[in-house]
Amino acid sequence: MTQHATAIESWSEQFHRFERNGAETGPAWLRDVRRSAFSDFERLGFPTARKGNEPWKYTNVRPIAESSFALAEYAQAASAGVDLHAYELPCPRVHQLVFVDGHYEPGLSTEPVSEAGLHSDVLARRGDGPVVGRLADAIEYRVPLVREHLGRLAPASGNGFTALNTAFLRDGAFVQIPEGTFVPEPIYLLFISTGARTVVTHPRVLIAAGADSSATVLQSFHSLDGGTYLTNALTEVVTGPGASLRLCTLQRESNDAFHIATTRMEQARDSRIASVVVDLGGRLVRRETATLLGASGASVNLCGLYHGAGERHVDNQTFVDHAAPGASSNEIYKGILDGSSHGVFSGGVLVRPDSQHTDAHQVNKNLLLSSDAEVDTQPKLEIYADDVTCTHGAAVGQLDADALFYLKSRGIGEDVARNLLMHGFVSEVLDAIEDGAVRQHVEEAVSGCLGGSG
Amino acid sequence: MLEVRGLYAEVNGVEILKGVDLSVGADETHAIMGPNGSGKSTLAYVLAGRPGYEVTAGSVTFDGEDLFALPAEERARRGLFLSFQHPVEIPGVRMDHFLRAGYNELRKSAGEEQLDPLKFDRLIRSKAKVVEMEPAMTKRAVNEGFSGGEKKRNEVLQMAVLEPRLRILDEIDSGLDVDALREVARGITDLSAPGTSTILVTHYDRILSYLEPDYVHVLIDGRIARSGGRALAKEIEERGYDWVEAGAGA
Repeated sequence: MTQHATAIESWSEQFHRFERNGAETGPAWLRDVRRSAFSDFERLGFPTARKGNEPWKYTNVRPIAESSFALAEYAQAASAGVDLHAYELPCPRVHQLVFVDGHYEPGLSTEPVSEAGLHSDVLARRGDGPVVGRLADAIEYRVPLVREHLGRLAPASGNGFTALNTAFLRDGAFVQIPEGTFVPEPIYLLFISTGARTVVTHPRVLIAAGADSSATVLQSFHSLDGGTYLTNALTEVVTGPGASLRLCTLQRESNDAFHIATTRMEQARDSRIASVVVDLGGRLVRRETATLLGASGASVNLCGLYHGAGERHVDNQTFVDHAAPGASSNEIYKGILDGSSHGVFSGGVLVRPDSQHTDAHQVNKNLLLSSDAEVDTQPKLEIYADDVTCTHGAAVGQLDADALFYLKSRGIGEDVARNLLMHGFVSEVLDAIEDGAVRQHVEEAVSGCLGGSG
Repeated sequence: MLEVRGLYAEVNGVEILKGVDLSVGADETHAIMGPNGSGKSTLAYVLAGRPGYEVTAGSVTFDGEDLFALPAEERARRGLFLSFQHPVEIPGVRMDHFLRAGYNELRKSAGEEQLDPLKFDRLIRSKAKVVEMEPAMTKRAVNEGFSGGEKKRNEVLQMAVLEPRLRILDEIDSGLDVDALREVARGITDLSAPGTSTILVTHYDRILSYLEPDYVHVLIDGRIARSGGRALAKEIEERGYDWVEAGAGA
């Protein structure tokens, strides 16, 4: 910790300034939560790759620890210049919230949620539409779910990053799908960085899907104009019994940006989460996706795609906690690594002693397109029940030379052939995005990244 | 159309072709027969431009042009087509996307207009009907999970769409039952536009009763040991390759 003492001091100054500014109101409990989180950060510091700290073995966050980042000021001007056209979803209706440098942007968001919409008695009614609004509003109107879940699923004490996110918690997105509600339109949470250097944002998202509800939520992180900034995102997700939630994350940060993202999910009986994460940007990316299958019949499908170019470092850590019998998990993560990029995948699966009839599968496949690119992949299976089906597999290879020749023998040139094969490789992940508009949007981003069309 | 002169080639440093001479004119069908390991597939791959097949001596011209100066995709654009003995499975790449990419490359190099997905869909449907393939198959990943027969039929579909002038069919009869063989052979015959030539690489005589060759060549140990007409294939069927080998040595 001492090695980062100066850095921590600078965070400390920033935290006190943040508090002095009243942190833009907020109830007393939240102030306590923040203070406690900041003391967690002071105690934990940033994670290091030291011995015994296995999850951070391959990812060195010293460039973050040694920089000093400032909270972005709210600047109307910054938002005024944002052209959302490039980020639009190809569908007529969408529930959209936009944050620019961490600040909610009402002018760009489609639905400012009314006060009534956040009242708990209204929320309890069946069949209402979703609540898609500011976390700050949900806190202000004392939505019980917020007190109940915020910081519970992802405790601030988890590591230095979750601690910082909670210490600077002020706003974010709050999504609630009432019991029995099917939401046909995608819910779109868009986080835009204007590219101001050395700015930090702590995007915070809480998603609560009621019993037997169904919805799609896309989180998207974009950079307008390069820049060395830090995005430190934290998402908490809780599902009621029988809920079906489709989550997608598209990350297209600047090539110099740091992107740390933590997602913690908790699933009730017979609920299903289908998560697809797509990392196409950033200089240093660390993404943790974890779910607790807390009751029988819960299932999760975790898919991921990461593209390494230049000197990008992209680290995906997944963790599935099979804490009840008869739950299932399926994971497919795929990486394409070019340049001198470095990919990391670590897939943790814990099957607790009473979790009989667990079904858990995990696959990680990587394409290395350059001799300087590298990947570290490791399954971490801990199985304490005996009547289970668990499989895992990892592969690292190049584009299939036989397939390449097959394509060329039909008149297809080298570049187009390689492109077709890369699209073929990633299609398994993209096909897991069930919502058509979201899938098309993400596919276009991936095509733009891999080059050519697919 | 195709002139092969004194062709030597090696794979992984092992010499496989040891001086092949072959001349294929327009509208001709040549059968190349030979025992396993005689170099039949190597010849097919060398002509199509497969990496790892190194030409050490000799020349091949295609319509007077040096074939070896062209990468594989250029050979295809000039009308050369190899039907693979073992068609490659390509997960995640849809048949129609793949074939449209190839088709449009051919059109582009011929200075013709490219087809958009809708127009190409009509084309591939009509061609699928010709080769008696279920159009839904064209929406599946290339050869993935196809049976042996479906893979071969798929090669014929690609041929129907790309309309090559020189078709090299590498053991297109392998893995086919007699009904599938008859259908595939009929497809190949129906697709022969005037001026189309065919090189049939095969181990057995049976496909030759459907696709009558004008010439039969027997490849033994990397050299054409004997050439003749249809009767030569029948003789091999009866007497085996040993007979030719003995004859070649004499």
